[in-house]
Amino acid sequence: MKKRITAFLLTAVMLLGALAGCGGPANNSGDGSGDGGNGGDNTSRSLKIRKVNSLASTDYDVVTYTEDMSILSDNVFQGLYGMDEAGGGYCKLLAKDVAISEDGITYTITLVDATFQNGDAVKASDVKFSYDRAMATERFNYVTDMIDSVEVQDDKTVVFTLKYPYSAIDHTFFSIKITSEREITEAGASYGTTAHTAATGPYAISKYDPAGGLTLTAYDGYWGGAPAIKTVEYVLITEDSAAVIAYENGEIDFMNNAPTSDWEALVSASGDNNAVLKGNSIRTLYINYQSTTNNSILANDLVRQAICYAVDKNAINTVATSGLGTTSDEYILSDYVATAPEAKDFETYSYNPEKAKELLLQAGYTEADLAAGVSVGTLTTYGPATGEKAKAAQVVQANLKAVGLLCEIDVADSNINVPKLKAHDFDLGIYGDSGNYDFNNIRQQVLVDGGYCIVDLTGNPGELDYSKVESLLADGIAETDIAARKAIYTELWSMVADTATMHPYMNMPVAVVWSSALNPGDGAQSPTYYHLNTFSWK
Amino acid sequence: MENTTNTTAAVDNSEFSFKRASQAKEIWRRFRKSKGALIGLILLVIIVGVLLFAPLFISYDAAIESDFANVLAKPSKEHIFGMDGFGHDIFARIIYGGRTSLTIALIATITSCLFGSALGAIAGYFGGWVDSLIMRTLDIFMSVPDILFTMAVVVALGANAVNLIIALTLAYFSNYVRLVRSQVLTLSEQDYVEAARAGGSGNARIILKHIIPNAIGVIIVNVTLNVAKIIIYESTLSFLGLGMPPPQPEWGLMLSEAREFMRPAPHLLIFPAAAIVLCACSVNLVGDGLRDALDPHLKS
Amino acid sequence: MHRYILKRIAFLIPTILGVTFIIYAVLNITPSSPGQAILGPSASPAAIEEFNHQVGYDQPFLTKYFNYVKNMVTKADFGISYFTKQSVFNEVWPRFMVTIKLSLSGVALAALIGVPLGILAAVKQYSLLDTIPSVLSFFIAAIPSFVLGMVLLLVFAQQLKILPSYGLDTWKHYIMPILAIAIPPAAQNMRFTKSSMLEAIRQDYVRTARAKGAPERTVIWKHALRNALMPVVTQIGMSLGLLICGSVVIEKMFTLPGIGSLIIDRINFKDEPIIIAGVILISICFTVVMLLVDIIYAFIDPRIKAKYSNAKG
Repeated sequence: MKKRITAFLLTAVMLLGALAGCGGPANNSGDGSGDGGNGGDNTSRSLKIRKVNSLASTDYDVVTYTEDMSILSDNVFQGLYGMDEAGGGYCKLLAKDVAISEDGITYTITLVDATFQNGDAVKASDVKFSYDRAMATERFNYVTDMIDSVEVQDDKTVVFTLKYPYSAIDHTFFSIKITSEREITEAGASYGTTAHTAATGPYAISKYDPAGGLTLTAYDGYWGGAPAIKTVEYVLITEDSAAVIAYENGEIDFMNNAPTSDWEALVSASGDNNAVLKGNSIRTLYINYQSTTNNSILANDLVRQAICYAVDKNAINTVATSGLGTTSDEYILSDYVATAPEAKDFETYSYNPEKAKELLLQAGYTEADLAAGVSVGTLTTYGPATGEKAKAAQVVQANLKAVGLLCEIDVADSNINVPKLKAHDFDLGIYGDSGNYDFNNIRQQVLVDGGYCIVDLTGNPGELDYSKVESLLADGIAETDIAARKAIYTELWSMVADTATMHPYMNMPVAVVWSSALNPGDGAQSPTYYHLNTFSWK
Repeated sequence: MENTTNTTAAVDNSEFSFKRASQAKEIWRRFRKSKGALIGLILLVIIVGVLLFAPLFISYDAAIESDFANVLAKPSKEHIFGMDGFGHDIFARIIYGGRTSLTIALIATITSCLFGSALGAIAGYFGGWVDSLIMRTLDIFMSVPDILFTMAVVVALGANAVNLIIALTLAYFSNYVRLVRSQVLTLSEQDYVEAARAGGSGNARIILKHIIPNAIGVIIVNVTLNVAKIIIYESTLSFLGLGMPPPQPEWGLMLSEAREFMRPAPHLLIFPAAAIVLCACSVNLVGDGLRDALDPHLKS
Repeated sequence: MHRYILKRIAFLIPTILGVTFIIYAVLNITPSSPGQAILGPSASPAAIEEFNHQVGYDQPFLTKYFNYVKNMVTKADFGISYFTKQSVFNEVWPRFMVTIKLSLSGVALAALIGVPLGILAAVKQYSLLDTIPSVLSFFIAAIPSFVLGMVLLLVFAQQLKILPSYGLDTWKHYIMPILAIAIPPAAQNMRFTKSSMLEAIRQDYVRTARAKGAPERTVIWKHALRNALMPVVTQIGMSLGLLICGSVVIEKMFTLPGIGSLIIDRINFKDEPIIIAGVILISICFTVVMLLVDIIYAFIDPRIKAKYSNAKG
């Protein structure tokens, strides 16, 4: 009998132990939530920002998600140039003076007196190190392959020699971030897996947990002046509905990726502290004319045009972004980028299902074929299964079905499906690209060796003369006059648009909300790259 | 895991047999006496009827064709349950989704029952090393929590209806192995089995003719209760993104799509959730009623 | 008795090996190339092949499995995550502890709620104390746990604003997830305890005790309860499986840094090393808990005790 009692006690102890276990971490951190956090002294209050996905690495050269880049770029890592979307375009950051040679080949750059977050002075050798590191990464080819060499002139001066004049070099100077040669060399393979102080920005990564959040701490020795807010916590909330509630309850102070599905609740909770920005991230439907699916149906120009006409951009906007996005025909927005062609100057395919059907009949399909449904293969896209691209894919699928075309949908993470797109291993594809830089970015899409090309135009689809595309691209980058460049790119994009292989459909909205206690600085105006050092508590 | 995990104690300790029609009548009489069981049965008949004759109510097209002008529309006369985020009719999606959900649940239950019962019968009847081998392997299977095992299978094979059924079968067959094995152990000591064996009947014949029919009652109760569990479990998998791919209507998928709209458009959540609860409840009521009818000991 | 415990512990090792094997085998049906995953989409085929060769990806399955177990046992090395390129163990371990904490607290809460309610329902059969919990538990058994999680989120975080909606910083953060995790197994425990108790009350020795004129309270608490609780102990252990299932969903729902949310998030990336390690760790823990339950059961079940103290074996 005694043993039996012992056993019961043992069970009880086990259960109590488990209960005690969950009480354990209660004292670890202070009261982080609850009352909207408006009371008392704000100077030491940490800024809480929602993060949708966990950060894969603290090495800027490795991250690929826009969300991660907008956190790390400029705030933690800085390039020679920064991005000032609120003010329009690029601005000098670590570069103090830039002297360009007559022939546009040599850039002599003097650096500002900056220090890394570990206290070391930023030297020209660090710049060379960072560029050499990036140039060894294939992923950066599209922004580095015009660079012939980077040479150290003295401690504060670095000389870039280009292979040819390149008028979109600003984007390179922005994309490549300057990091501490000493710290990265010392860290070796572990760089990127831990918090570090190898960057020059106003905030250093002080806590990093790959499956959880990320904490940034102000670097008071920042060359541009100590930031007002000392701690920024990025908290991971994967569920949109939980994020809305967290904002309403004052558990997070800022979101620039606020869920659009419950925007009304956010607006009513935020008072005036909200904004919907016209984002510069563009979504495009790609049609692979080289696909062999269904007897190479997509090789038929009329079928591709029909697909473009069949897509109801407004419906995509409604379903994927609750109508907050902006439908678009431009691959890179002309209101963001001065060199980008305007939609009025090239062929666009606005929603017209009758015309789509007509084109299909013209292509030789009978009414009966279309009633039964003609397969155009698989629509490949990436991101979460309930994400905006997956939703757009479902709308496109429904749109196509309405004109008699059938497609399957394949959604997987970008690590899995983006390589398929880039290998031209798809029929239809939806891909997102951020269009906040020079229209020369189009070379990624039209040059096969550019690294990001999704539709391989070298097979001259439609009436396209591919050699002309290449020569226009070269002309565009050699030209420095903005209006002249715009004219060249308009001709270029008109040719591409005529092939009906790339069909931009919408601009992502950027929904921003912030706490009434927060002055969000340029966070309320920058669709992608906000600057935490412009934020302050009221 | 050995000896002790008698989880189906409430079910499998009965010693009834299910052979004669009079007995079936007796069970039906007892079943009828329970109000809950009757309500459950009526509900279930209605649900199955609606699902079977779905095209009489609404066409399949309404479940998968989008009306983009009416995205997230509230319930109205034309669309009694409203519209979802893609402009699909929710009523149609519930009906046709129920077909998908219930079909998958039924197939998975049947396959897991057949597979598990066969293994259990073999283990119990042959004993010895066969029994040890089967039961030790089963212990290993049961050491992996169902949900994780299912996740592993879906990750390895991909998310679609067939793989979902495979995963659900593998997650649920072990109950039947134990159940049938213990039944067989009890039954094979009964006189009529001894007699059959003495009469020269083969092993397979004895299992099929004498043992299975006598264990069938317990199995049926378990099957019924498992259908409800699988319906819920299947919806959980869909919620986690491991279930049926869209735009095919399926209850769990509908709930998964509904969660971001749970406040601005709660009807997206309420109707499929209610469908799952109603369906699982009625199946459970029938299961409980069957159990009590087959095993009168528990009813005082 | 010791022999029994030793035997059960000895059996743990082949079980754990078997579990590792099954999981490893299932996830190697369609393995993705580690070189491709770690070096990224732009890596050259030669570099990928070289990398795969280095990590032994091109070896036969059994060799790979053997090496995996060897590294796991000797170095706690589960490989490198395809997503973060970090040591899998370092990533999985802290999250494993979170899941364990949640699940065990859930087991405790489910037992503390379910068992007393079940006893009450049996003792006061057909009273309100029986019908209300019974009906409730009946409905709860039919509600998927993520729906329960959503309802809790809407009620406590959105409407009442008394509980935080994400994370695990303070004790307040634990309330909602643990409730959401514990309610379904609590309902199950309640139903089970009730039927077990009802059965015990009808047993001969209870009748005898009553006939002897023992007070009703003594009969219930001393005779019936003790016997009724024996299978309940097993049931509580078994409910851990249901709890882990709930935990996976609730972790995802409330963005808690546990194994479940980790695995779900990494499924999209096909981060197989993380998935394998996560499933194996949880399964080992599950196996150990089941063993503890068996041992506790052996202490209270006179039949097993008798078998092992008298006979050999």
